[in-house]
Amino acid sequence: MTSPQRTILLVEDNEVNRDMLVRRLQRAGHEVTTAGDGEAALAAMRELKPAVVLMDMNLPIMDGWTACAAAQNDSRLADIPIIALTAHAMEEDKARALAAGCSDYATKPVDFPDLLSKISAHLNASH
Amino acid sequence: MVSETDKPDQWAGHILVAAEPLLAAVKRPTVTVDAPMDGDVEALEDALLRIRELLASPTPDMNHDLLNLIGAIRGYTEMLYEDVALLHPALKETLPALLSAVDSTQISLEMPVSDQPELAKSEAPGVILAVDDMPENRELISRLLSRAGHTVISAESGEEALELLETRGMDLVLLDLMMPGIGGAEVLKRMKENDSLRATPVIMISGRQDMDQIIACIQAGADDYLLKPFNPVLLQARISAGIERKRWHDREEDYRHQLERNERFIRRTFGRYLSDDIVAQLLEAPEGLELGGDLREVTIMMSDICGFTSLAEHLPPPQVVSLLNRYFEHMTDIIFDHQGTIDEFLGDAILSVFGAPKRQDDDPERAVRCALAMREAMEAVNAANKTAGLPTLQHRIALNTGSVIAGNIGSEQRAKYGCVGHAMNVTSRIEGQTENDEILVSDATRQHLPEHLFDWGKPRELVVKGIEGSILAYPVLGLRQ
Repeated sequence: MTSPQRTILLVEDNEVNRDMLVRRLQRAGHEVTTAGDGEAALAAMRELKPAVVLMDMNLPIMDGWTACAAAQNDSRLADIPIIALTAHAMEEDKARALAAGCSDYATKPVDFPDLLSKISAHLNASH
Repeated sequence: MVSETDKPDQWAGHILVAAEPLLAAVKRPTVTVDAPMDGDVEALEDALLRIRELLASPTPDMNHDLLNLIGAIRGYTEMLYEDVALLHPALKETLPALLSAVDSTQISLEMPVSDQPELAKSEAPGVILAVDDMPENRELISRLLSRAGHTVISAESGEEALELLETRGMDLVLLDLMMPGIGGAEVLKRMKENDSLRATPVIMISGRQDMDQIIACIQAGADDYLLKPFNPVLLQARISAGIERKRWHDREEDYRHQLERNERFIRRTFGRYLSDDIVAQLLEAPEGLELGGDLREVTIMMSDICGFTSLAEHLPPPQVVSLLNRYFEHMTDIIFDHQGTIDEFLGDAILSVFGAPKRQDDDPERAVRCALAMREAMEAVNAANKTAGLPTLQHRIALNTGSVIAGNIGSEQRAKYGCVGHAMNVTSRIEGQTENDEILVSDATRQHLPEHLFDWGKPRELVVKGIEGSILAYPVLGLRQ
C-alpha cells in the first residue's frame, strides 16, 4: 500500500466528478482523500498532511482561491503543493492560481495523463 | 459534429446520444463485464443522468456543473477504454464516439452561460410527433424541440404513433426507423395510404448502417432523414423546413377549400340551368358571377306540352308530376347535350337560350339540332308513359334569335342566371302559334343557319303582338339527308 505521505487530497464539490477522479487516481496507485469545500480542505490538510492537494477553485462555502491563500499563510500548510483545477484555460487564471500560492494548475475537464505527471513531479520533488 | 457555436444543450445532446450505443453495448447480455468496468459503467450512467437532469432544469451555475459532469464522463470513458476496449469490439467502436463528443465540448464551455445566445426560437413553431422506442431519444428530442418553441408529442411505438395521428393533426413526424412492432417504414406506409395524413411531413431517424432502408423510405414518401447520433442544429433546420412545407400545403388546402366552396355555390346556383361544361367555364372565371348583365345575341328556344293544362285537370296530381318529371328529365339532358342554358321551367314549358352565358358561333344551329332531338325523344318519353299507364304527350317548339340582356337577375339573396328582352317575348308568342309536334324557326334564326343543312316546310307569316307588320317563320322538318 501507499505510504501516508503519498496521500492525495482531492477537493471537489461535484460528487460525480470527484468519484471519477478518486477511482482513476486509485487505479493509478494513489491513496486519495476528499473534501467538498475550501474549509473542509484546510481542515483535512491540517489533519492529514497530504503529499499533494488537487483543488477545484470554484467551491462552495470557501472557494479554492481563499483556501489557497489561507494555506499559504499557515506555516504548517505552506509547503504542501496545491494543483489548482480551473475551468478556464486562460493565461490569467494560471497566473492568478500561481499568485494565490498554487504550485501548479490543470484545466477541467482534466487531461488525466497530464495530471498524473504533474502529481508525480510534485511527489518526487517533495522527497 | 459539434461546432464551436453549439450551445450547452446542443453538445450535451451529442454526448447523450453518443453514450447510447456504448451503454447498449455493455448492457448486451453477450458482453461479459469485468469487475472494474462494472462500477464504471454505472457511474457513467449516473453522470449522463445528471446531465439530463441539469438540462431539464437549468441552474445559474449550469456551466460549472456541466463541466464537472463532462469531466467525469470523459474520465469514465477513458477508464473503460483503457480497461476493456480491447476485449470487446462493440465497445471499441462506441467509446471513441463518446470521447470525441466529450472532447469537443470544451470550447463551448469556456463561454459563460450569460454570454451564450438564447437557443433560437423557431419562426414557425409547430406540433411535432416524435416516435422513438428509446426513452432517452424521446426525451432529448422533446427537450431540444420544445426549447425552440415547438410542441412535442412523443410516442414510444409505431402503434402508439398511428393512434395519436388519428386523434390530432401534427405538423411534422419524426420517425425512428428501427422499432419493435410496427417499425418506422410501416408507419410511413400507412400514413401515405391515408388521405388525411399523406401531406404531413415525415423525417426518418436511423443509424448510418440502415441507409438502404432510409432510401426506401424516401422513395415511399418520407421528406427527409437524420442519422443517429443526430446533430441538434441539423434536426432544428430540417424540422423548420418540414413545418414550412406543411404550412404551405395547409395554405394551399385552405385556398382549395375556398375554391370548392365557390364551386359548390356556382353549381348550386347554376347546376339546374346550365350544362356541365358551361358551369366549368363559369368556374374558370367566377368574376362573371356578379349581379348584372350584358346585352348579347342569343337563340331562344321555347317548348311546351300541347294541351297539358286540360290534361293535368283530368289526372291525379302524382301522375301529373310523374308525367312532367319524365318529360323534363329527357328534355333537360338533350338541351344540356347541345350546350343550351335553361332559363326557366314555366309549368309545362321550358325556356332555354343558346349563346348565354357563353356565345358560340353555331348557337342557332345547335338550337335547331336540339329541337329536332327533343322531338325525336318524344317517342321514348311516350313509350315510357304507355308502360306506366299514362297518356302520351305531344309538344311544340319555337326558336327565335335576337338581343337580350343576360346575367344574374334578382336580389343578393336570390339571384338566378337568366335573360330578359323583347326577343324573349317574341319567342313566346311564336310558340303560341306553333302547331302540335311542330318546330317553328323564326326568320331571324334561320338567317344564321348554314344553308342546305335542314329541310324546311312552307314558311308562315305570323302576326305577333309587339311587332309591327308580320314575321316569317319556317317549320323545320329535319336534317337534310
